[in-house]
Amino acid sequence: MSSPSSATLRRAPAPRITLLRVLDLLRMPALALFTAFAIGAILIWITSGSLQTVFEAYAGLIRGAFFKQRGLSETLVASVPYIFLSLAVAVGFKAGLFNIGVEGQFYIGAICAAWAGQAFHNLPAIVHLPLTVLAGMLGGAIWAAIPGFLKARTGAHEVINTIMMNYIAFRLVEYVVSGPLRDRLATAVQTARVAPEAELWSLWAVPERMRDPLNALGVALLLALITWFVARSLKKGAARRGEAQPGSTSFVSRHSPLIAAVVVGILSFVGLPPLTRLWWPFTDQYDRMHVGLILALLAAVAVWWLLWKTTTGFELRTSGANPNAARYSGISITRNIVLAMAISGGLAGIAGVVEILGVSICRCLPLFFSSGYGFDSIAIALLANNNPFGIVAGSFLWGAMRNGADLMELTSGVSKYIISVIQALVLLFVAAPSVVRWIYRMKEVPRTEAEAPLARGWGG
Amino acid sequence: MSTVIRTGAVRRASGRTRGWWVTALVAAFGLLAAFLLLNLVIGGKCGVDCVTGTLAQMLRIATPIAFAALCGVVCERAGVVDIGIEGQMLMAAMVAYAVNLFGFQVLKDTMGTQAAGDLSRWVALLAAMIAGMVLAAFHAVVCIRFKANQIIIGTVINILALGLTGYFYRQFLAENLPAGPGTFPIVSLPLLSQIPILGPILFEQKPLVYIMLAAVCVVQYVLFSTRWGLRTRAVGEHPRAADTLGIDVFRTRYINVIMGGLLAGLGGAWFTLEAVDVFSPGMTNGLGFIGLAAMIFGKWNPFGALLGAFIFGLGTSVTATISIFRPDIPSQLPQMLPYILTMVVLSGVVGKAVPPAADGVPYEKD
Amino acid sequence: MTPALQASGITKRFPGVLANDHVNFTLEKGEIHALLGENGAGKSTLMNILYGLYGPDEGEIVINGQTAQITTPHDAIAQGIGMVHQHFMLVPPLTVTENIMLGQESLTSATRALGGLAVLDRRGAGARISALSQQYGLAVEPEAYVRDLTVGEQQRVEIVKALYRAADILILDEPTAVLTPQEADELFVIMRRLVAQGKSIVFITHKLREVFAVADTISVMRSGQMVGSVKPGEATQEVLAEMMVGRKVILQLDKAEAHPGEPILQVENLQVLDDRRQLAVDGVSLEVRAGEILGIAGVQGNGQTELAEGLTGLRRVAGGHVMLLGQDTTNATPRKLIEVGTAHVPEDRHKHGLVLSFPVRDNLVLCTYYEPPYAQGVELDFAAIEEQAYRLVEMFDIRTPAIETNVGSLSGGNQQKVIVARELSRPIRLLIANQPTRGLDVGSIEFIHRQIVEARDRGTAVLLISAELDEIMSLSDRIAVMYKGKILDVLDASAAVREQLGLLMAGVTPAAGTEDAHV
Repeated sequence: MSSPSSATLRRAPAPRITLLRVLDLLRMPALALFTAFAIGAILIWITSGSLQTVFEAYAGLIRGAFFKQRGLSETLVASVPYIFLSLAVAVGFKAGLFNIGVEGQFYIGAICAAWAGQAFHNLPAIVHLPLTVLAGMLGGAIWAAIPGFLKARTGAHEVINTIMMNYIAFRLVEYVVSGPLRDRLATAVQTARVAPEAELWSLWAVPERMRDPLNALGVALLLALITWFVARSLKKGAARRGEAQPGSTSFVSRHSPLIAAVVVGILSFVGLPPLTRLWWPFTDQYDRMHVGLILALLAAVAVWWLLWKTTTGFELRTSGANPNAARYSGISITRNIVLAMAISGGLAGIAGVVEILGVSICRCLPLFFSSGYGFDSIAIALLANNNPFGIVAGSFLWGAMRNGADLMELTSGVSKYIISVIQALVLLFVAAPSVVRWIYRMKEVPRTEAEAPLARGWGG
Repeated sequence: MSTVIRTGAVRRASGRTRGWWVTALVAAFGLLAAFLLLNLVIGGKCGVDCVTGTLAQMLRIATPIAFAALCGVVCERAGVVDIGIEGQMLMAAMVAYAVNLFGFQVLKDTMGTQAAGDLSRWVALLAAMIAGMVLAAFHAVVCIRFKANQIIIGTVINILALGLTGYFYRQFLAENLPAGPGTFPIVSLPLLSQIPILGPILFEQKPLVYIMLAAVCVVQYVLFSTRWGLRTRAVGEHPRAADTLGIDVFRTRYINVIMGGLLAGLGGAWFTLEAVDVFSPGMTNGLGFIGLAAMIFGKWNPFGALLGAFIFGLGTSVTATISIFRPDIPSQLPQMLPYILTMVVLSGVVGKAVPPAADGVPYEKD
Repeated sequence: MTPALQASGITKRFPGVLANDHVNFTLEKGEIHALLGENGAGKSTLMNILYGLYGPDEGEIVINGQTAQITTPHDAIAQGIGMVHQHFMLVPPLTVTENIMLGQESLTSATRALGGLAVLDRRGAGARISALSQQYGLAVEPEAYVRDLTVGEQQRVEIVKALYRAADILILDEPTAVLTPQEADELFVIMRRLVAQGKSIVFITHKLREVFAVADTISVMRSGQMVGSVKPGEATQEVLAEMMVGRKVILQLDKAEAHPGEPILQVENLQVLDDRRQLAVDGVSLEVRAGEILGIAGVQGNGQTELAEGLTGLRRVAGGHVMLLGQDTTNATPRKLIEVGTAHVPEDRHKHGLVLSFPVRDNLVLCTYYEPPYAQGVELDFAAIEEQAYRLVEMFDIRTPAIETNVGSLSGGNQQKVIVARELSRPIRLLIANQPTRGLDVGSIEFIHRQIVEARDRGTAVLLISAELDEIMSLSDRIAVMYKGKILDVLDASAAVREQLGLLMAGVTPAAGTEDAHV
């Protein structure tokens, strides 16, 4: 293969994000979505016998997702668990693992949060809330680490083991909800309501919450941390592009991220409580949007940073792409498999936490709680090609579908299960782009050599 | 330097024969241990009748698991991973239920309830086989022709089946249903069922159990003694070698996967034609995946897979017996047993399991 | 006399490369015709076309005077063509009989009508195989499992497999790649026997010596084209090498005298098990000093792979000691070894040496990414990483469109350069190079040889493992021969003679005298 000699290698990397590149990346996913919805439409038409139903169904879907009262906020609420779960699946995929167990890890995270939320009383929110989230995260992490450890040590394939862990989790949670953690005061079978300090704040309640100085402190710290991270990234990006920093040895510019963080922190602590009392856009008390959404976005950034900007992420991705080369270069495969599963499980656990602390009305875990989120998150992760920002977009889409499905069923009589069918088809088209190309008579792209297999056979 | 060519290479036994006895011995001990444990938990109340009943139940539950395992064996021996067996069984279960119900409605006036019921059940069985084969064909085309990742496509089939069966169930089967003809009746084999202990276990079962036992023998025979089996195994281990000898790798894989679908269909039919006579969404409950575990346990051999199915069947039936005698133990705890058992088995307690070498790798003909 | 096979105008295009460019090839009846060319010249492609594995874009094949349509191996077999591939086409878990009759199975007459479901007649096939074995003197045992056979035995099975299908034309693709010089000689005896019984043989090789030993005609291919055909008496090795490469080739590398220093690597009684729990390295002791190259010669499969893996932390050491710079590093992790100053150019560059889906940039820091300046704590410093990448690409002349290009799209030679660049750009004391130039074009081979010698001149201790005796003899200061997991002898390179090394590689030690080399 003739390539330009190295002498002509340009230093400046090509601009990373251009409109053309984004459109090119979106082409296949968009086609996949379109085709899946089209086939769904055909299915509705055949089973209901009328074209009218199809229009009613899709119209109801769109209206329910965005345009009805509180539609958009419900969609956002529904997206949040998808973001966490799809991030979980994506982390697994990047490390070469197929974590179908996110559903079970979700449950375990939820039950841990349900316990931690009501086991302590009168703890300030700045302690109780992180504690509860941590409990759920650890629960999910451990639940995933077990099959991870089994894979690392014995080579047992994680697909079957995580599915088994799912079923064990369902039974375990069923037992705990109807037994040890059951709320004796409630008629329905569910766990006790968590303490108000452990709840994830609904967005409309933020000004109220900010009255407590400890809460304001917590928010200020969080904003300061975010500022520090953003400032640092900007600084590094400039250094990488080789932009000279005149006077770069002065105290201020060397510590600029830290200074910016402190400034923002103080300003938020002092200014936000009165500011939010003066003006706050969210006032609807029936609006279920909660701060978990912000947590989810932060998690997406965190995962992106972890996987592509850290040595740990490099090791995880290498273990997934070529375990032999990883071992050769000194990376411990055992450690990375377990770590990847633990991170994945932790993210799935947080999804469960968010469900209890932010989404559920009763702030508890009821007995016949079925999520069905598990398989969907696999589809979203694949649709987004394991890219955290694509996952946010895909989760929004899925949240819209899930939310809109209720109104769709109500107005057109088409069962919600059609959404599962459409989602399965999306997964199919994303996993087998050749099928899409065949349908639309597109040119077959020569397979790029050595695309890391997402998940291999039982040989591991 | 001598040019004598010696032929005395070391001929090691393949290890297969020796392993067989060890596994059987371990199985026998395991069975004994299981019943001792059972009696411990329920306070020694499990006598001969109880043991017989539990073992008969074991065989019943092992049936869908064994069909799933056989489907897995047939597919993977040819080099195609099929984790969509769960979905194939679920779809087959629903199709069998629907065909049984509506077939009965159509036939009962012309043939009388008894005959109509019998016929509609067998037609439903056929329909279940076809449903399994259709989903399997879908899997085959996407994985073999379009070379997609086989594990993901298997997952697609599972989700698709959940969605489609749920959708059709809600639209047509959830309410206002006429009475159906019920499940297959037990078929007692004439003299054999009189044998003490073994009789009621082995020879007083519903038809699918017998079909399953026969299927295990048939697959074993085909795989190791016939031309088709030899070619299948070659394709699964070293497809390029088979290709260079003129064997059509793709065709072999297609046929194997579709036959696997037929077996999965039989497994699915068990749920609605033998276990209970009503369909509920998601009723397969992971038995398809347990079937895959049984296949791995059996090292991709039909008889080994059957043993694996027995083990999981035993786990489930012992659980049920415990629940009967000890209603004080919350049912969810013993229900976890089969799944935990699967994980223990998969972790290599019974030795390392090596899949066919080309398993899961799409064949590139370049 | 009509030629056994005549191919004219064969052309075959793959995406991005013209593998065969209007190639003409003639095989006379009863001759052994050698097809020579370096890696990537198009020899295997041509043979694969003759065997029906590829269809030619243009061209015609005439067999025994009649035009033949060969579109699948089935057709080729029907035309009497049999092929023994470089990587054996045998199914390890099946028996010899099953492998040989695959595709043309013997069925018991009772069940024959069942077609695919008919019962196999193993005994009948076994009898036919034994008869063939006797007739051609190719010893095989029908009931053995292929995975238990040695490489030489497997090759015999492959040949019997072709004869079982009544092949008159045999194509052997690089048959001596896995044989000792003595085993290769015995193969040549078998080939002459076959030819004496009326067969015609094409044999592909890139080893110049062999063609003079056995060929009746030599054809040379280069870059997809047939350069010419000569008789052995008409040409010398130098002439052939020039035909293969297109320019004058230096067959012997120019290198300075070695000045060995302190011992860097000391291995004592090393024992390493292979994947089947057999002893692959059986009590190996050796020492490599700074500034010298110790070459380990030997046919593949005598424990070299396991030795390299044991010394680099990729495989557990079952017994013995490894000392690096005086420290005990037996069973040390790969990371520890990297930190102590070991560099490893692995045998399988795709499996161990590179992550094909990662960019060149990431592959170049694969072993050093976690240390400053490439990382500060947990965070990667991309400015430093990219700086290093640009530097190495220039220093080692790695041809790539950008450092972000996936390393999988580079050519084999450039991929190997990435590995060499990565390994030699660290401060190292020991370099372990295992088959460093396998499958590469001559230009890359020369470059890498030069890099290895320069590393030696900088004071690095080099352990070179190679199945190419020429490479060992050209680069090494001392040569050790490995056979069946043991080091049979260590010689000074200047004193080593090719025939003597060949004998050692076949397990014949001067003291032991004659020995049955075949098991």
